[in-house]
Amino acid sequence: MSSIILEARDIRYRYPRGMEAICGISFHIRRKEKIALVGPNGAGKSTLLTMFNGMIRPDTGLMLFDDQPIRYDTASLRMLRKRVGFVLQNPDRQIIAPTVYQDVAFGPTNLGYSQSEVKEAVTQALRHVGLEGFERRPPHQLSGGEKKRVAIAGVLAMDSDVLVFDEPTSGLDPLGSEDIMELLDELNHEGKTIIISTHDVELAYPWADRAILMLNGKILKEDIPEVAFGNPESVRTAHLSLPILLELHMELQKRGFLLTGKKPRTVLDMMHCIDTLFEHSRSHSRHGMITVCNVDQDNGENLSEWLSVHTGICTGAMGTRAKQCAEKFCINLDFTYGVIDKCILKALLGEDCLILTTESMVKRVYLRVDAYGLESGVRIPVHQLTIAPGEANEKNGSAP
Amino acid sequence: MFEELLEDIAQKNGLREVNAYLKLAAGLGAILLCLLSTGYIAPLFIAIVLSCAILILARVDAKIYAELFIVPFWFAIMSVAGLILITGGQDIFWQWNILPSFSLSITRESINQGMFVFCRVIGGMSAMIFIALTTPMTDIFIVFRQCRVPEVVIDLMMIIYRTIFILIDQVIQIYHAQVMRLGYSTYRESLHSFATLCGAAFIASWDAGEDLIRAMDARCYDGKFALLGESRPVERIPCLAVMIFLFLSTAVVIVSGTITII
Repeated sequence: MSSIILEARDIRYRYPRGMEAICGISFHIRRKEKIALVGPNGAGKSTLLTMFNGMIRPDTGLMLFDDQPIRYDTASLRMLRKRVGFVLQNPDRQIIAPTVYQDVAFGPTNLGYSQSEVKEAVTQALRHVGLEGFERRPPHQLSGGEKKRVAIAGVLAMDSDVLVFDEPTSGLDPLGSEDIMELLDELNHEGKTIIISTHDVELAYPWADRAILMLNGKILKEDIPEVAFGNPESVRTAHLSLPILLELHMELQKRGFLLTGKKPRTVLDMMHCIDTLFEHSRSHSRHGMITVCNVDQDNGENLSEWLSVHTGICTGAMGTRAKQCAEKFCINLDFTYGVIDKCILKALLGEDCLILTTESMVKRVYLRVDAYGLESGVRIPVHQLTIAPGEANEKNGSAP
Repeated sequence: MFEELLEDIAQKNGLREVNAYLKLAAGLGAILLCLLSTGYIAPLFIAIVLSCAILILARVDAKIYAELFIVPFWFAIMSVAGLILITGGQDIFWQWNILPSFSLSITRESINQGMFVFCRVIGGMSAMIFIALTTPMTDIFIVFRQCRVPEVVIDLMMIIYRTIFILIDQVIQIYHAQVMRLGYSTYRESLHSFATLCGAAFIASWDAGEDLIRAMDARCYDGKFALLGESRPVERIPCLAVMIFLFLSTAVVIVSGTITII
């Protein structure tokens, strides 16, 4: 278990002349965790989030960051805010400067970086969110999703350890929200602790490591998503709805189907449950193969050549740069979100898939397929495209 | 909205990549020459050249340019009409004695004076529009900083520039919400609605201000504002073009100083 980075001990907060927004909350967040704060409007989610970077000071109780109580003098707050990045719900309220470059550079400049360091940080952050070439654009000409990305880049440029997002997908179209959620996954994979608040259960359920259900300024339940959302009564009390997959799982159980293993979090898990129920229905003796292409290494020639041989193959892209690469080479994408799971599903049907992804995410494909192999005993071969076909070192997906 | 329209064009125009100093030199130089000129030909010459630059080089849509020009154009026509009637002179073409001590007349001098003022207005306007349509505010901020305008002033300008668009958006939303519920159907109603609109806009801007402080604090605000420091390099051809334009205009100002229309 990794160490605890944020902790709250019995904190309470009352708005001036208002009702009590936080009434006695204690919890902790570990490093590199993905936490979803879920609750109805007015549950106190946003208030709690703003305590993480010291914007609001609890009336009583203690907030700890990195095992140190948060101090509220200017210098300590600056240090805290450097390490806890906060992305507001409304990007218009977060973007301050008249151009994208200036806004992303705002944090680094105020942290006293030199000109060249600022430039470096901004370039990196914009590259991360896929907004290269937007430097000179004024924010009011950008779309909602692009503004959100600028706001995220502004926080990324400060290289915080913890990223706090208030309703990261509000006001975005489904594709836009999937992109943002995937970006959050990517950031988490790079070692950042991520905390989001949302009332979208379907969004939080497959994404989070732990979910915290809030109601009326109190924590209703705090656990892994399967458990936190697993109790229909507490979910109902929190004015939320059950995730569809969980509901389906429960209904199947009620009808006497013996579903083994853990509760499903993704369609893949659900398929596994159903597959184990009807063992014989697995008619595909041969599983498809998953090919991973690292777009950071590949110059496109290899890829186009490979694609011209394998026409009609299912293709998914993971990460912003992979998607841009697909656009550049006019590759039609079948999957842009939950790519690995969808490719495993395809492979189970005996079809081959290609995953375009970035350097840092290649390992993740192997890990996920390995984990699935361990759980289900199905071996799905994964290999990397950049290796020349002759010496293709076919790596086996499942553990021995 | 008009403000947004101007900025949008400026961000995308064909002269976007030309050094901001060159564009400002051309625009400000043109305004100065219009003011120095004593004849009507020089301002007219400047207006024609700059209009061509806006339409051909900057590739601004002619219709949009005409729309921008029409308001000051009518204003100039009306002022000049008044000017012609009340300016006195020797060569009287037409006279009307309304009152024993007050008469309206058109004279050779008044026509010359009117034409001169009219061309000055047109020349100045085209120079102003040239700057507005080719140089985005964001580039002008860089010029300001390089010209040592105090940082506080520039920071304030940048924040204002950024918030203008957010506020305009909000005002439009409130206005639409009012129109949809028949807010401006009668005179009384529109007075009332307009008052509410102003109040709501004030509260919205107050809120936005508080949020701005919070957003800046959350990112360790320490009194510093980053600036996109790099301006475009001065290229030879645009530089030559601006110099030739200013030189020719100066020549026209000197040569045509005494020429009048009649």
